[in-house]
Amino acid sequence: MSRILTAIALGSAAALALTACSGGSAADPSATGDASTAAGRAPKLTIGAVVDVATWKAADADWGNTATYYMAVYDTLLRTAADGTVEPGLAEEWTYNEEMTELTLELRDDVTFTDGTELTADLAAQNLVRFRDGASPNTSNLSAMTDATAVDEDTLLITLEQPDPALLTYLSQNSGLVAAASTFDAADAQTNPVGSGPYVLDTAASTIGSSYTFTAREDYWDADIQHYDALTINYYADASALLNALRDNQVDIANLNSVTQIPDAEAAGYTINQAPVNWKGLIIADRNGQVNEALADVKVRQAINYAVDREGLLQGLEAGYGEVTTQIFGPSTEAFVPELEGAYPYDPEKAKALLAEAGYPDGVTIVMPQTGFVPPSEPELIAGVLAESGINIEYEQAGESFIGDLLGGKWAMFSFGLNQEPMAWMTYQLAVSPGAAWNVYHQPDETVAALSDRMRLGGDDADAAAKELNEYIVEQAWFAPFYRVLGVIVTNDATTVTMKDGQAVSNLWDIVPA
Amino acid sequence: MLTFIAKRLLAGLGLVAALSVLTFFLLQLGASDTARHIAGQTATEEAVAQVEARLGLDKPVLEQFATWAGNALHGDLGLSWFNGQPVTEAVFSRISVTVSLAVGSVLLTAVIGIALGALAATRRGGLDRTVQVMAVLGQAIPGFLMALFLVIVFAINLDWFPATGYTKFADSPTAWLQSIALPIIALTIGSIGGVAQQVRGSMIDVLGRDYVRTLRSRGLPARRIVYRHVLRNAAGPALSVLGLQFVILLGGAVIVEQLFSIPGLGPLALTSTSKGDLPIVLGIVIVTAIIVTVVNTLVDVAQAWVNPKVRLS
Repeated sequence: MSRILTAIALGSAAALALTACSGGSAADPSATGDASTAAGRAPKLTIGAVVDVATWKAADADWGNTATYYMAVYDTLLRTAADGTVEPGLAEEWTYNEEMTELTLELRDDVTFTDGTELTADLAAQNLVRFRDGASPNTSNLSAMTDATAVDEDTLLITLEQPDPALLTYLSQNSGLVAAASTFDAADAQTNPVGSGPYVLDTAASTIGSSYTFTAREDYWDADIQHYDALTINYYADASALLNALRDNQVDIANLNSVTQIPDAEAAGYTINQAPVNWKGLIIADRNGQVNEALADVKVRQAINYAVDREGLLQGLEAGYGEVTTQIFGPSTEAFVPELEGAYPYDPEKAKALLAEAGYPDGVTIVMPQTGFVPPSEPELIAGVLAESGINIEYEQAGESFIGDLLGGKWAMFSFGLNQEPMAWMTYQLAVSPGAAWNVYHQPDETVAALSDRMRLGGDDADAAAKELNEYIVEQAWFAPFYRVLGVIVTNDATTVTMKDGQAVSNLWDIVPA
Repeated sequence: MLTFIAKRLLAGLGLVAALSVLTFFLLQLGASDTARHIAGQTATEEAVAQVEARLGLDKPVLEQFATWAGNALHGDLGLSWFNGQPVTEAVFSRISVTVSLAVGSVLLTAVIGIALGALAATRRGGLDRTVQVMAVLGQAIPGFLMALFLVIVFAINLDWFPATGYTKFADSPTAWLQSIALPIIALTIGSIGGVAQQVRGSMIDVLGRDYVRTLRSRGLPARRIVYRHVLRNAAGPALSVLGLQFVILLGGAVIVEQLFSIPGLGPLALTSTSKGDLPIVLGIVIVTAIIVTVVNTLVDVAQAWVNPKVRLS
């Protein structure tokens, strides 16, 4: 027996030794956000994230849910306020030429990176070119940029093939991130960011894929946006883990995986902050009838819109959290038309009549993909709703290459969610223009082309053109949106946040001690 | 003894090689969209092709495997396809966390399981039946359910432990113990029953043998008979079960670590497998296979140590 006990004791010692040697993270499990301050800042902010940062390389950076990570360590050429207003960032001033094909930016001269090097216009230009040619999912943001060059030490010139009304906004997102030159060819560029941002990543205290710790830079050029001495971003891969962290008050602020978590977060004492960030619905992609002939007829597409019970789907899929809509353009954009929200009331009889007029009195059959990304009840509910109007959905199991197949035009119509961008032009670029990824068959349209030419030049006429574009797309039923999905950020009593239009996460500097 | 250990380690190398081949080709079956995942949903075909070329995915599968295996034999397990982190760094920064949970759980299992098994075997009656019912219940309750129950009761309601997260021992031994306590208990509850029942069965068997009756007839105290003679002879099967439990617990830790948001191998294995991050998955498989081999070898050696009558062959 004594030998068994000895063995257990040795095992205990081994376990302790193993842990002592651990290089793992120190995801601090204790509650944070206490109100005491040091050097004018609160001591610590703990953020719960539902998406991990895939790479720290600025040229390959994603945005959306991962924006918080990048805003901690990098600066952008410009910034956008919570209401979408473009503000100075690394660039203090900016001007367009008359044709809006040249953008000149005057950069600050007091910016240093964490490796000690200084910001120059040439470095910013290199970053822009690297982003355009990099592996970010948003490289198309800079597709209109023909070149970026340094006019002098602090003056950056961006040349465009044609005007891009969203460029300033893009420069306030991942397209405008500026990294130090030392990271360009560094072997650890993806795991060790070198930026000029308000915080620096403590790689020793962080574990990739789990927890990231940052400390405030003492010599940062814009100390007003540094509200905390330290940040920790804990990534919760599991929805239950995030809920438990909230129930135990382990995070000060967090995005929720789903609106269905709202009651639990409220019960745990968190404040619910919400804003529409996506729209969800059907992308009626095959408007030329290449895969499904019926969809070439606008009456069939309109019938699909009349067949959608938006209120029912919102209740069934999102427990009522969200806003029903018929538009892919967000309420804060210049394209939004409130009256259009009533364009397609739920009317199965009208849907059937339109199908009959289009030559399909017995209804139509459409093949759509089914994936494991959503619970099986979702496609069942959608198919059930459409079937009441004679629109029969046959589901085909999507494989590993789901997204590639979607973008490759495998399915004529599919259920999906897309960003509700803060600018009409950005939505146009995402889902409407012939080159847009989500104009899956890249179908051109003369009316859209004429309207986009007007939108491109900006001004009042551009706003009017955006509205006309929206009305045209709704009337032509390119999509059948169900509802706007709410992005939800919860905050504890020690923290407040200002939500940002069209972005899943707020600006980091808009998270402040209460 | 040394020959035996060498043979076991050699067999372990074969196991590592076989698992590597199996893992590589199994993941190839479902890796059709990895380059697109890396390049981004809306990346152009050219960008996707660039990623394929950079990672060597445009080469024949056998050539890809030969390249990986050649590098692995030189100690280079490569970089994560998704974030560029060296595989050895990714795996070794997390392995100690997972092994700590597994070792802690095995130790707790050993202490409680052996004690319960010994009590059930020697006392029998109502206590025996109670232990058996508890053992079955413990095995029947899924680990994740137990983890959620523990979190709600002991972390959220009683606030004795943190609900999620991990603190390094070096940062705070107390906080470290608090952070791993619930995960270890969640892992342990399901495995106690197996060990307790094994110990109980073995001890009942040994207690009925002639030499035990002889010892009793010589007037030796019952406690001494149980602890010095019966338990030692019954320890062999229990050690085997414990070794097996360690391997099972390594697998069980995947779910428990995810639920407790602990940065061990579990979440890394889950995310890497779902994304198709082949180098990371292979690294995890290799290291896990090595651990399993070493543990099995240690169990065999320990059996001989605890009971010298066992002959290694």
